[in-house]
Amino acid sequence: MSFFGFDTSLPRDRGHQSTAPGFGQTHDPFAGLSQRNVSANDEVLDFEETYDGLGDQLDETDDAFNDDTFGGEPANQQSVGKDFDFSGQTAQIADTMKEEQMLYAARQPPQRQPSPPKKSTRPARTGYEKYSEPTYIPELQANASLWGMAPRQPSQDVTESYHRKHSEAVPPTSNRKMMSLEEVEAMMRAQNNLKSTTPQPAPQTSQPQPRVEQAQLPIIPPQQGPHPQGQFPNFSGPPQILQRPQQLSEQRFQQGARPPPQGDKQNQGVQHAQVFQRQRQAPMELVAHRSQHTSTPPGPRRTPQPRQILQNPNRLSGHGQPIAPSLSRPSHQAHLTGPMHARGPSYPGAVVTNPQQLLNLSDEDRAAFLAEDARRAKRNHKIHMLSLGNGLMTPQDKNFITRIQLQQLVTATGGVDDQDPEAALTEDFYYQVYSQIRGAARENPNQPANHFAQTYLFQTGGRYGLAGRRHPRGGDNHMQRMEQQVQRAVEAAKAKPKNKQLVIEGSLGKISFSNAKTPKPLLNLKRTDSADVRPSSAGRRPSRHAAVLDRKATLRDIENVYSDLMAMEDHERHLPPPLNENSDPESIQQHMEWRHTIQDLNQKLWRDLKVMEPIVPNSPVPHPFIAILSHPKGKKTVPRVFRHIDEQQRVTILTMIVVHLDTLDVVRNALLHHDEPKLSRMAREEVELFAHSVIPSLFSYINEAPLTIVIGLLGLVLDRTNIQNLVRTKIGLSILTMFVSRAEIFKQSSAPGDLTDSDWEQWLQLYNKLFDIAEPVLPYIFPGSVNDTEDVYVWQYLAAMGVGASPEQQQRLVLGVKDRVMETVNVSKALPPEIAATRLGHVNLFMRAIGLDVELLG
Amino acid sequence: MESLSIHDPPPAGEQPVKHQPVPPMVPQLPPQMFTTAAQLLDLTDKKLMVSLRDGKKIIGVLRSWDQFANLVLQDTIERIFVQNLYADIPRGIYIVRGENVLLLGEIDLDKDDYIPEAFQEASVDRVFTLQKKEAEDRKRKEKARSKKLRAYGFEGEHMGEAII
Amino acid sequence: MLFFSFFKTLVDHEVTVELKNDISIRGTLKSVDQFLNIKLDDISVVDEVKYPHMSSCKNVFIRGSVVRYIHLPAAAVDTALLEDATRREAAQASARAKQS
Repeated sequence: MSFFGFDTSLPRDRGHQSTAPGFGQTHDPFAGLSQRNVSANDEVLDFEETYDGLGDQLDETDDAFNDDTFGGEPANQQSVGKDFDFSGQTAQIADTMKEEQMLYAARQPPQRQPSPPKKSTRPARTGYEKYSEPTYIPELQANASLWGMAPRQPSQDVTESYHRKHSEAVPPTSNRKMMSLEEVEAMMRAQNNLKSTTPQPAPQTSQPQPRVEQAQLPIIPPQQGPHPQGQFPNFSGPPQILQRPQQLSEQRFQQGARPPPQGDKQNQGVQHAQVFQRQRQAPMELVAHRSQHTSTPPGPRRTPQPRQILQNPNRLSGHGQPIAPSLSRPSHQAHLTGPMHARGPSYPGAVVTNPQQLLNLSDEDRAAFLAEDARRAKRNHKIHMLSLGNGLMTPQDKNFITRIQLQQLVTATGGVDDQDPEAALTEDFYYQVYSQIRGAARENPNQPANHFAQTYLFQTGGRYGLAGRRHPRGGDNHMQRMEQQVQRAVEAAKAKPKNKQLVIEGSLGKISFSNAKTPKPLLNLKRTDSADVRPSSAGRRPSRHAAVLDRKATLRDIENVYSDLMAMEDHERHLPPPLNENSDPESIQQHMEWRHTIQDLNQKLWRDLKVMEPIVPNSPVPHPFIAILSHPKGKKTVPRVFRHIDEQQRVTILTMIVVHLDTLDVVRNALLHHDEPKLSRMAREEVELFAHSVIPSLFSYINEAPLTIVIGLLGLVLDRTNIQNLVRTKIGLSILTMFVSRAEIFKQSSAPGDLTDSDWEQWLQLYNKLFDIAEPVLPYIFPGSVNDTEDVYVWQYLAAMGVGASPEQQQRLVLGVKDRVMETVNVSKALPPEIAATRLGHVNLFMRAIGLDVELLG
Repeated sequence: MESLSIHDPPPAGEQPVKHQPVPPMVPQLPPQMFTTAAQLLDLTDKKLMVSLRDGKKIIGVLRSWDQFANLVLQDTIERIFVQNLYADIPRGIYIVRGENVLLLGEIDLDKDDYIPEAFQEASVDRVFTLQKKEAEDRKRKEKARSKKLRAYGFEGEHMGEAII
Repeated sequence: MLFFSFFKTLVDHEVTVELKNDISIRGTLKSVDQFLNIKLDDISVVDEVKYPHMSSCKNVFIRGSVVRYIHLPAAAVDTALLEDATRREAAQASARAKQS
C-alpha cells in the first residue's frame, strides 16, 4: 500500500484512526476551529507528502516467499499445488450470515496504537498464513477505507510517492486541509495528461506497482487514456456486498497460476511487502472483480459505475455532511472541509488569524467577529461534549448494515447491482436512462448521443416534456426550418428571372409519376369515393357508447405501438459488433438473426400502427391510425416511429395523414368560428403538439422527397380534403406550405433533366387548382385579429405561394391579403421597435416573395 | 479499488479486442447511497430530534442504529410543547423501534437552544397536565368525528394516531 | 421499484414533502432508499410556529410511510421517459404474474 502513499500500517495495527471523524475527537475539539483559520491555499494535504517512506526500508533481498505467492516457475494450472484450491474448501460454507459473523469478528477494532515503521528484515506475515487452516474463510474485508480508516488519498501518485524519502513523510494532521474532490480531480487529470503524452510512462524499475497489479489482477480490463471512470478512482469499484467466498478462491487460484513478475532484484522485496500488505485490503476487490467478469459475457458490456461513494474518509461516520451530493455536485465540496456539525462558515467577514488583525477591524466587525468566535467556541464545546460518547457504533457496524441493505436491495430488485447493464435497466429504467441522458455532460461533445438520448431527448417539449427542451429543438426549430425553406425558395426565385423557368420546362425528361414510391398504389384509394368520405362522415359523431369503446381501443393501440417501439429500441442496443471480411461465421450468423428480429419487430410495429387498415368510406369512426393521432401520446409516437421505419413506410404514413388531413383533430377542432374567435386551450395544445412532434417528421421526409411524391400528395389533398377549411388552420397551412415550397425549391435547385416537362406541368395544374380554391378565403386564413402575433405560418404559406405565382396570381394574392398587410404595418408603428421589426419581417416574407417590401408601403 | 489507477498499463497480450461500441454510461451515483444506512450514517453521533408515531418528541444523541432504523439515543430529553408552553423531561437512554419513527431531524448546534419565541418554559407538571388534557380533548373530538364518519361509511386510516 | 428509481433522479433537487400529519417540509433531497425514506437537507418547515419542535433542525430523515405528497420541480421530470418506465414496470409485473 505504501506505493500509493497510504498509511501503510495494517488495519489491525491501526485501530481507529485518530483523525477519522467520529473517533478520537476528544483530544482536539477545536480542530475544526483552527482549520477554518487556515487560509485556503496553504497547507493543502499533498498526496506526496503523506508517503511515509516505509517501502524504502523493506528488505529487498529476501524474496523467498514470492514462490508462495506466484508459484515457482512459469506456471500452468496443473503445476499449481492443491494448496491454492480454496474453492474446494470454501465452497462448503454456504451460510452467509456465518461469513458475516466471521467478517465482523475479524474486523473488531483492535487496540489503538501508532504504527511505527517496520524494520524487520523479512515480512512478518506473508498474508497467506490463514489459508492453511482448513476452514478458513477469507476475510471479506471491504475496503477499510470505506469507513474512513485508512487511505487518505487516491492512488494516483504511485511513483512519486514511492520515491519519497522517508524523512519527507509527513503524518497527516487533523488541522490540515483535505483536498477537495475538484482539487484531487484536477491533480489526477494533470497527471493523466502528463502520462498519456508519454506512451510508456516510466521504466519498470521505477514503477513496480503496476506490475504487481498485473500479476494479481490479470482480468482487469485495459483502461485506455482518460476514461470517465478513471476520474473517480474511488468510485469505480464494484459493489461491495456480501460475496461468496468461492469466487475469491478461484481468484487466488488464478493468481497462483501466474508466473512471478520479472522485476528487478531490488524491487522484489518491495513487491513482496506490497503483496502481503495488500492482502488486507484486496480480497474484497478481487472478489468483486472476479465476479464481475465471470458474470458477464465477453465484451465490455459491463458498465463501470462509481460504487464506493461511502469511501471517502472525509465524509464518513460523524461528519454530518451529505455523502452523495458532494460526489455529484462538486459545488458542495466546500462543506467537506468544514468541521463537523458546521453549516459552513457563517461569519461573512474576513478571517482573522492574529490579534493584530482584530485590532484593525472596525468596531462593528470586531463585535461581529467576537460574537462569531464565541458562537463557534460554544458549538465546538457542544461538539466536544457530544463526541465523548462517539464510536459506540464502529465503522464496521455501519459497513455491515450498509452491506445488508445493499443485499436487500439486490434481492428486491433482482440485481440492480449486476454489472449487466441490461439487468439494471429493467429494474431501474428511469434512473439509469435519466442519468445517461441528463446526468452528466458528455465527455466528448462530438460523441454521438446514445440511443436513449435519441429516443427521449429529441422528443418534443412544452408541457409534455421539459419546459427547457422546447426551445432548442422541436417545433420552433421546425418553424425556423420551414421559414428557411420558404426563404430559400424566395431567394432562389429572385436570382432566376421568371422566363428562365420556361427553359427548364422545355427540357426533356421522362414521365415518372407512378414509381414505387408513389403513394397511390400503396393504399389503393379510389378517388371517385372521395367526395363521400369527406368531412361530413367523419364529422358525424358516433354514439356515445361506441365512442367510449373506440377510445379504449385506440388507447390500447397506442400502447401496443409503444411496446413495439421499446422492443425495437431494446433490440437496437443489442446490435452485434460490425462485420468485416474476417468475421467468423458465428458473428455473421448473429447479424443475420439480429436483422431478422428487427424486421419482425418492424412488421409488428407496422401492423400495430394500423396504417394499412382499409379506409372505410362513410365510416362513423375515424380510421384507426388517424384515431391514434388524435391522442397526445399517439402524436408523440410519430418521431419515434419514424426512426424505425423505412422510406416506404414513411411515405405511407404521410399519405395517410394527407388523405385524412381535414379529419385530423388538429384541423377539425382548430377551425375558428365567428362566435369563438379563439381556440380552446385543449385544441391549442393539441395543435402545438402536432406541430412539434408530427410535422417535423413529415417535413424532414418531404424535404428530400422527389417532385413526383409532392405532386402525388398535393393531388390527394386537393382531391380528398376541403381545402377551404384546411387553409384556415395552422396545421393545414403548414402542410400546404411544406409541399409548395418543396416543389419550388425542387424546381430551382434541380439539375436540368431531373425535372420533366410533364412533371412540372402536372405540378402547375395542381398549384393553380390550389390557388383557385384557396383564393376566396385568403382574407380569412389569418388567426384572430391583427393583434394576434402568431401568424407567421400564414405569411410563410403566402410567401411559398407567391414565389411560384404568375404575375397575375401575385396580384390576386396581394388583393386577397392586402387588408391584413396594411393593418399589420399600421399596428407595428405603435409597437416597440423589436416586436415591430419581427412582425414586419413576417409580412416581408410574403412581400419579398412577390418582389415587394413593406418599406415601399411607407 | 485504490489499487487500480488509470495509469496502470493494460495486461499485456490478454483480452483480444473484440469490443463492440457500447456507449459509456455516465457515472451514476452508487447504490450505497440509496440505502437507509447511508441516510443514517451521517446522523450518527449527532444530536437529533426524533418525532415518534405517538407524538413524542425526543431529543438526544444518536449512537447506534440498524437496518430497520431501530435507534439508540443517548442523553435524551422529551420535549413537550403545549399551547404556548414547553417543558423538557430527561429520559436517559432511549431505544426506539424503527417503525415508530416518523421523522428524524439533525439539530443545528447553532440553533440548539432556540425555541420559537411564542413558547415559554414551564414546569414539567404543568405542561404535562395541560398536554394530557389536550390529548383527551382531541381524542374525544376525534372519536366523535370518526363515529360520524363511520356512519357515512368512512373507515379512518390512522384513527387515534397522534398529530405532531 | 419505479418510485425508487424515479426519486433517485431527484437527488439534489428542491422538493416539498407533505406528511400525513400535515407538516410540509421543504428542502433539498439528499437521498432516498428502497422504502422511500427520504433525507432532506437545509430544510424549512412551511408553518413553523405550528411545529416548534422542527425549528432547530437543519436536515431531516423522513420515514417513507408517513409521507403523503412530494411536490417536485417539474423541470426535473422527464415525462416521456417516465411514461416508458411505467410501461416497462407494468409489462414486467404482468410477465411476473403470468409466471407464477
